Amino acid sequence: MQHTIAVETLGPQGEAMVKAIETCVHCGFCLATCPTYRVLGEEMDSPRGRIFLMKEVLEGQLESRSALPYIDRCLGCLACVTSCPSGVEYGELLAPFRERAEQERSRSALEQTVRLLVKETLPYPGRFRLAVQSGRVGRWLRPWLPAELGALLDQLPERLPEAPALPEIYPAQGPRRARVALLAGCVQQVLAPQINWATLRVLARNGVETVIPRGQGCCGSLSLHIGEGEQARMLARQNLEHFPADVDAILTNAAGCGSGMHEYGLLFAGHPEEQAARAFGARVCDISVFLDELGLVPPAPLRRPLTAAYHDACHLAHAQRVSAPPRRLLGQIPNLRLVEIPDGELCCGSAGTYNLEQPELAQAIGELKARAILSTGAEAVILGNIGCMNQIQTHLKLAGQPLPLWHTVELLDQAYRAA
Amino acid sequence: MSAPTVVAPTSNQELQEAVCACSHLAVRGGGSKPGLSPEQPAPVTLDLRLLSGLLEYDPGEFTFTARAGTPLKTVAATLAEHGQYLPFDPPWVDQGATLGGTVAAGLSGSGRYRYGGVRDFLLGVRFVDGQGRLVRGGGKVVKNAAGFDLPKLLVGSLGRLGVLAEVTFKVFPQPEQYTTLRLPQPSLEAALATLATLARSSFDLEALEWVEEEGCPVLYLRQGGLAAPLAERQAALRSWLGGGEPLAAADEVRFWHTARELAWVPEGSLCAKVPLRLEQVAALDALLSAYGAPRRYSAGAAWAWVAWPAAAAELHRALSRLQLGGLLLKGQAPSPLLGIRSAPTLAERIKGVLDPFNRFPPLG
Amino acid sequence: MAQTALLDELARSIPPERLLRQPAQLVPYESDALTAFRSRPAAVLLAATQEEVVQAVRLCHREAIPFVARGSGTSLSGGSLPIQDGLVIALNRLNRILHLDPAQRIAVVEPGVINLAVSRAAAPYGLYYAPDPSSQQICTIGGNVAFNSGGAHCLKYGMTANHVLGLKVVLPDGEVVELGGASLEGVGPDWTGFFVGSEGLFGIALEITLRLLPKPALYRTVLAAYDSLEAAGDAVASIVAAGLLPGAMEIMDALAIEAAEAAVQAGYPRDAAALLIVELEGEPLQVEAEFAQLLQVVDRSHPRTLSVAKDDADRARIWKGRKSAFSAVGRLSPDYLVQDGVVPRSRLGAALAAIEQMSRRHALRVANVFHAGDGNLHPLILYDGRVDGELERAEALAGEILQLCIELGGSITGEHGVGVEKRQYMAALFAETDLAVMAELRRALDPGELANRGKMFPDGEAPALRAQGPHPLERLGLLSRE
Repeated sequence: MQHTIAVETLGPQGEAMVKAIETCVHCGFCLATCPTYRVLGEEMDSPRGRIFLMKEVLEGQLESRSALPYIDRCLGCLACVTSCPSGVEYGELLAPFRERAEQERSRSALEQTVRLLVKETLPYPGRFRLAVQSGRVGRWLRPWLPAELGALLDQLPERLPEAPALPEIYPAQGPRRARVALLAGCVQQVLAPQINWATLRVLARNGVETVIPRGQGCCGSLSLHIGEGEQARMLARQNLEHFPADVDAILTNAAGCGSGMHEYGLLFAGHPEEQAARAFGARVCDISVFLDELGLVPPAPLRRPLTAAYHDACHLAHAQRVSAPPRRLLGQIPNLRLVEIPDGELCCGSAGTYNLEQPELAQAIGELKARAILSTGAEAVILGNIGCMNQIQTHLKLAGQPLPLWHTVELLDQAYRAA
Repeated sequence: MSAPTVVAPTSNQELQEAVCACSHLAVRGGGSKPGLSPEQPAPVTLDLRLLSGLLEYDPGEFTFTARAGTPLKTVAATLAEHGQYLPFDPPWVDQGATLGGTVAAGLSGSGRYRYGGVRDFLLGVRFVDGQGRLVRGGGKVVKNAAGFDLPKLLVGSLGRLGVLAEVTFKVFPQPEQYTTLRLPQPSLEAALATLATLARSSFDLEALEWVEEEGCPVLYLRQGGLAAPLAERQAALRSWLGGGEPLAAADEVRFWHTARELAWVPEGSLCAKVPLRLEQVAALDALLSAYGAPRRYSAGAAWAWVAWPAAAAELHRALSRLQLGGLLLKGQAPSPLLGIRSAPTLAERIKGVLDPFNRFPPLG
Repeated sequence: MAQTALLDELARSIPPERLLRQPAQLVPYESDALTAFRSRPAAVLLAATQEEVVQAVRLCHREAIPFVARGSGTSLSGGSLPIQDGLVIALNRLNRILHLDPAQRIAVVEPGVINLAVSRAAAPYGLYYAPDPSSQQICTIGGNVAFNSGGAHCLKYGMTANHVLGLKVVLPDGEVVELGGASLEGVGPDWTGFFVGSEGLFGIALEITLRLLPKPALYRTVLAAYDSLEAAGDAVASIVAAGLLPGAMEIMDALAIEAAEAAVQAGYPRDAAALLIVELEGEPLQVEAEFAQLLQVVDRSHPRTLSVAKDDADRARIWKGRKSAFSAVGRLSPDYLVQDGVVPRSRLGAALAAIEQMSRRHALRVANVFHAGDGNLHPLILYDGRVDGELERAEALAGEILQLCIELGGSITGEHGVGVEKRQYMAALFAETDLAVMAELRRALDPGELANRGKMFPDGEAPALRAQGPHPLERLGLLSRE
């Protein structure tokens, strides 16, 4: 698309932003896979429309303020990137645009409160745990709370599972085939610590020694996606510092984290750590990709046959183009039958903290996903991201069918333990 | 009352002049569809049989352009020489039906079941409108999205919107061979049920005809294509249907010839085309049985050919009651359009543009 | 002002989130997939019911406000380009499949239903909807009807017009009429066929009765690479001469192959000058016999490589590459103009050679993708709008190509329609009388020329064969060019 943007004024991320706009030919193929277009049915809430709006703002033709509501509603799921025939790197336009917009906009007190809660709580497992416990106490306040804060409360679980501290090293079983470092995550450690433990066991079973570096922290993706570049960089620096160089790969079992860390290069564009950040990002690998490449020790059949729907997390399928490896891994479990979810390329509505910032839309999108899953007749849902897990669980429950949800590694773990 | 004058133009220009010279006129081609002529003969009849002949034909292009008065017989013979045919299988070839008359009547035959009807193969037209203008619509290539689809407008226009001068058609390669299965059905309901299941099967049928034989429905299913796999294909169809007897080659040819020529319609009988939806067949059939009217349901009962033994007015009333429309092809009536009408105001507006002086008979 | 009266009245029954009037809301609607033109409407109505569409059309008629209907806005000819200060009636929310009758083989749909959604709904019954424009995962039936859309598989079963049996439309003066029906046949003039392809000038379709076909039991898809476009074209001629009737025959040239591979990694042979895709479809026994014949014919045409799709996934991959080709050239060039000319099939070789010469003369690259089976070319003229004069050169080249198609006895548009883009060339394709009659027919239904005003017909002045300088509508201040 033609534009009159002065690239020089946009800083180090400017070239990537403008390239995305130039590459877009306005064909509209992206509308087919955009969850917000599906729900809202208007051009402003489609990738094509948002690119157009961002272009107008960057050209100075449109006030940022008037375009922001539509940009805010974007999930950042990147399904449009997968479906775009022209190769528009929409993410490289959206993230920097949001960061710029954050600096210029004024947010309401309510919005600021929510963002503060998110920023200062979610990335820190200790604080998050406390917040969850006290949040449960404050649940009686729900009817008087505005939608966003109410949504926050709704997401909190009834009970928090036991979370024993992770060891520094988890040794391989049998001859060692590889040595990796694991990002333990933030929210996941509180809400679903069993995923990390299953990860360690499955890796060990496959002859992999896992290092869980001390001093690591949240990967910064949440902050990045809400436009808090500075905080994202601060959190990322911790990981740049504390992850060892002498491992075969840096593994993550959360799609959101993997995708965020792959973007470290862009996050630090123009900063002294840019090279190191890019190099780090290149070493990050999703657990499913790693195991797929390594070659699984054949898993035994599950204790009982299972028909499960595999849900593609956006940040795995679209942001990282990982959709075959988890299916291949799961396909090796003898009595597990995988079914495809109709409109599988559509986000579940979790998208980082989307369900806190856009509760109504997240609700509508989550409902669509729940309905699609239930239409398959599957007995369970398998996926690769904690955010999706939370969101889909909420909406399956709302639909009256609380199916069990498991991470890919949890199924592998189940299979190995059944032997 | 003096007999109508007959004018036989031999060129487009003469056609234009003839139209301009008269205040009221009607058109005839091969005379195979007299029901389309107005009941009260117009003072002037344009006989288009001299406006005949192929103008362009490149077998490699699978298209041809011909003058409207060209008999179907001539066209079919020329196409056959190059292994091509008119896929919409127009009727009354032996009776001298012309291309123009076929388009004006909007008629297709049994074979339209495979690919489509006359409207789907007409690419371009040149016609003379009621103001004597020679107008071109469509084009000569198989894909064309430029301008309004005037060719489609003229399909079925019954000579009421304009006189066709030239037509361009798309053609297909002729199947190497045909074979037909005869499948008697115990009842009307059974026949309808068979049609419904066939509709969802993936058999490629050239034609699907429903004939009454001794008061019982009989389905005739025609398959066509390369000779080598044909017998096996028929066997597969037969097995899937759980019955049916193949017709001998000579019988096969004869059956479809009879179908095309509507030779089963009693001499002097009124003949009408009644488009149908499957759910309307039973009611129509009951009516036709009550009157003892011979009929055939063509192209999977997409329409009925009716040989009506009573007055046209009665058919008109009966069809209206059944919420059906019809076209009178043989016989006389105030208007060839029977039963319910479609889009009357639209018709009026279009007629107002193409025939403001009402030179052609009314489209009402 | 007339717009205010119209909008105020609409606002009485339409909530503000469905009657868009703010600049940030209108901006994304200013163009469709033809980005060379932009135009700002007074408002966009996101219609939720057929009644709202009818009400809007009636109000526009009363207030003499021009309007444009819009589906997904994927037109390549400016078909859904708004009229400046007019109303855009967005139909994408009218997306219900109202009725599907597998025995009758029809589907009755609202105009906002996505093309592919029809086939998906018909699939459980072993049926599908045949016309397959490359944008079918997002383009709407309403848009398909307005432009008589085609696609790769039109060779055997025809275009949209051949699959529309009935319509309920609202005419530009607000009258609602029903045309055709669920039967394959009708009597009297083919009003339905007349409406299809009228580019929105005859009003808006509210319900469309579509013909469904049985899904072919077997597909056989062949991919052949050639050292020249000519060789590929000759192969097509031989296939046709052999009496075969494939479901689709497509050719892509080296540039298009490069783009498609970058986008989709379909596995196309990279060093080929031309790629031919031929697909047979139908009953297994017949298709296998045809396939044997096809292989013989193709073999005799001396392709560099020849491969056959192994399974559904393979077949899907081959088509994904072809269908992404247009947009994929966005990777090769910042801008492009896609043309849609038709030439008689036998003149394809001559046309392509001529286009190559023109491309060299104008120093612009042209990628070629086309429906070889029916002579429908899609030259994609690659240019960089930021370079001085390149857009003008691209348009000059586009004009020459269209003129070439006319000279060779073809058409200026095979399936994208005339829209805004090719208005001037109508005068080269049709005589004055022809255009006059079409204009009269249009005015009989729309005396105020409110429906899609300014499209399809060349303006009143002496028709120029290509636009030099501002477009006539730009001179009138009705459009702006980016």
